[in-house]
Amino acid sequence: MSEIKRVDPRRPYQVTPKGLRRIVAGQDGGASPTIGDPGHAQKRQVKPLRTRQSPVGWHMAIAHTSRGRLDAHAREALAAAAILASPETGIIAVILGELNEALPELGVDRIAILPEFDCGRFQPERELEAVEALVEKYAPTHIFMPDNAAGDGDLGRRLIAKHGHNSATHVVEIDREHVATPWSGGAQRALAELPRVILLDVGAVDAAIPFSGTGEHIPPAELAAVPASPVAFQDLGVEKPDATEIALEEADFIVSGGNGVARVATLEALAKSLGAAIGASRVAVDDGKFSRDKQIGASGKTVSASAYIAVGISGAVQHLQGIKDCRHVIAFNRDAGAPIVKRADLTVIGDAEELMQALINRVSQARMQSETAGVR
Amino acid sequence: MTKPSISVAVLVSAGRHPLTGSPRACRGDCVALALGRSLAGEALRVIHAGSPDELSLQDYLAVGAGTIEVLRVEPGGDVLPAIAAHAQGIDVILMGWRTEFGAGSGLLPYALAHRLGRPVIANVLDIAIENSASNGSQVKLRQFLPKGQRRRIACPLPAVIAVHPAAPVELSYAYARRTSGRIVPVTVRDLAEQVLPSPWTVVPATRRAVRLKAEEKKAGHARMLSAIASEAKAGVVAFEGTSVDKAQVVLNYLRENNLVDF
Repeated sequence: MSEIKRVDPRRPYQVTPKGLRRIVAGQDGGASPTIGDPGHAQKRQVKPLRTRQSPVGWHMAIAHTSRGRLDAHAREALAAAAILASPETGIIAVILGELNEALPELGVDRIAILPEFDCGRFQPERELEAVEALVEKYAPTHIFMPDNAAGDGDLGRRLIAKHGHNSATHVVEIDREHVATPWSGGAQRALAELPRVILLDVGAVDAAIPFSGTGEHIPPAELAAVPASPVAFQDLGVEKPDATEIALEEADFIVSGGNGVARVATLEALAKSLGAAIGASRVAVDDGKFSRDKQIGASGKTVSASAYIAVGISGAVQHLQGIKDCRHVIAFNRDAGAPIVKRADLTVIGDAEELMQALINRVSQARMQSETAGVR
Repeated sequence: MTKPSISVAVLVSAGRHPLTGSPRACRGDCVALALGRSLAGEALRVIHAGSPDELSLQDYLAVGAGTIEVLRVEPGGDVLPAIAAHAQGIDVILMGWRTEFGAGSGLLPYALAHRLGRPVIANVLDIAIENSASNGSQVKLRQFLPKGQRRRIACPLPAVIAVHPAAPVELSYAYARRTSGRIVPVTVRDLAEQVLPSPWTVVPATRRAVRLKAEEKKAGHARMLSAIASEAKAGVVAFEGTSVDKAQVVLNYLRENNLVDF
């Protein structure tokens, strides 16, 4: 043993809020369980606050929810507001519709929820009035919205037209200095300084952010009540067409069959009982069980359903490409080691035929129960 | 059919092929034109703001425009005042969802409606005009929504309507119509013609758009870890139980995430 004092490179350390490793002299880090154990720190996933300063100005993000959640496109708008904010700028999220998830992880400091404006109803004038009141109150320097057909693109354009805001729509590229939008159909691109209202195209922002916000809810009492002003439009309701008639790309619920499906009739019955469209993997289509227009995957269709049930599909890379935009994937498979199990949010191991039959029975029972409950 | 008292007009823009830049009829405006013709027949007015020598107007004649009224606007000038002044008395103003030439922001219907003080509806798939004695004339519309949904809306006239490209119309191109159609320049008076400097700098789109990403400061060890381990989403795997139990697990999952309504 030499007398030279050595620094142990694996000496306990702390991970700072900025994510940097820090060795503090005199502290051996025994106090906290996360110290000296980067694996554990990652598992806890505690994101540091974006800023500790009290906000001077604001960035506003406005989006509709669907089924009580923000979709990936809306999250991108929230992320853009947070990433582009300076430390003295706060983020306020205006959520139109019910919200059943926590937003601080998306970097939001204040949350204004207006539950009566969900995207199921068409009331753009009242939405506009409610949003205008908040814009006036907080005077945000920039307003970020997703440019979609579900109501945000429409609301944003109404806001721009009414106030003559300096704006950019269909934004495909954004940073601190400028925005870029496609020009003349996409062969050219137009650049401008960051305007006040920004409608973002899908994919312009990476929604994963390494920090969080304080996420304070603005109490409903503070949100100015929206007067029931005379409206021009009369909403006659939303038509939901028969799921089997919808194009697969547009379908919201898909039941898809692969090589593990022995009887196609059972799959069709399952799709019918759930009100879902039918898809298929390449193998099943090649076998002649399904028509070519049902094929999902790299050489078939790319789908973006909220719910995707993969029955007897092992999950080849080409198939997973086709379902990369699906939010909830449920797999029925005999093999627990199939690649689809890694992608699926819920996997049920067992025989496909048996599981489908059981689910059909359970769904019809549940439907009966809810109907009788509704009658009572 | 439609009562002659309701006037319908469609605004057409100068179309350009996105890759070659050659003049053609804008696809969205053609759909609006066809929808307008099914609504008003020969009485449909077709309006273009720009130059009467625009080559793409010939294509609109071929698709069935008949006569195109051209409001002369300098290149780069604001078309809004000219259109607003000219379309003042028209009950139903139709247009495509966005232009192919220039910004294509889809803002014109909203700006025009605001200027004329009228309601505006975008993403419209089909239109029916209804005249009733009690509440005047109104239009019943079907609006495109994502996920295969369609919304029905009733709206009083006059109104501004932007048509969705998926509207079910039949387009037919006829050379005879192209040669027999007329282009009529119209002078719009009292317009302060001025070309404002555009905030946009246009460059060729040679590279892919850069995605905005948050800067992340990580220790070297964490960076190395993230390079080898992908973010594995831990899905639930149900091994145990009978198939009935497993069906219940699936139904519970669907209910938890509001994917079914029973």
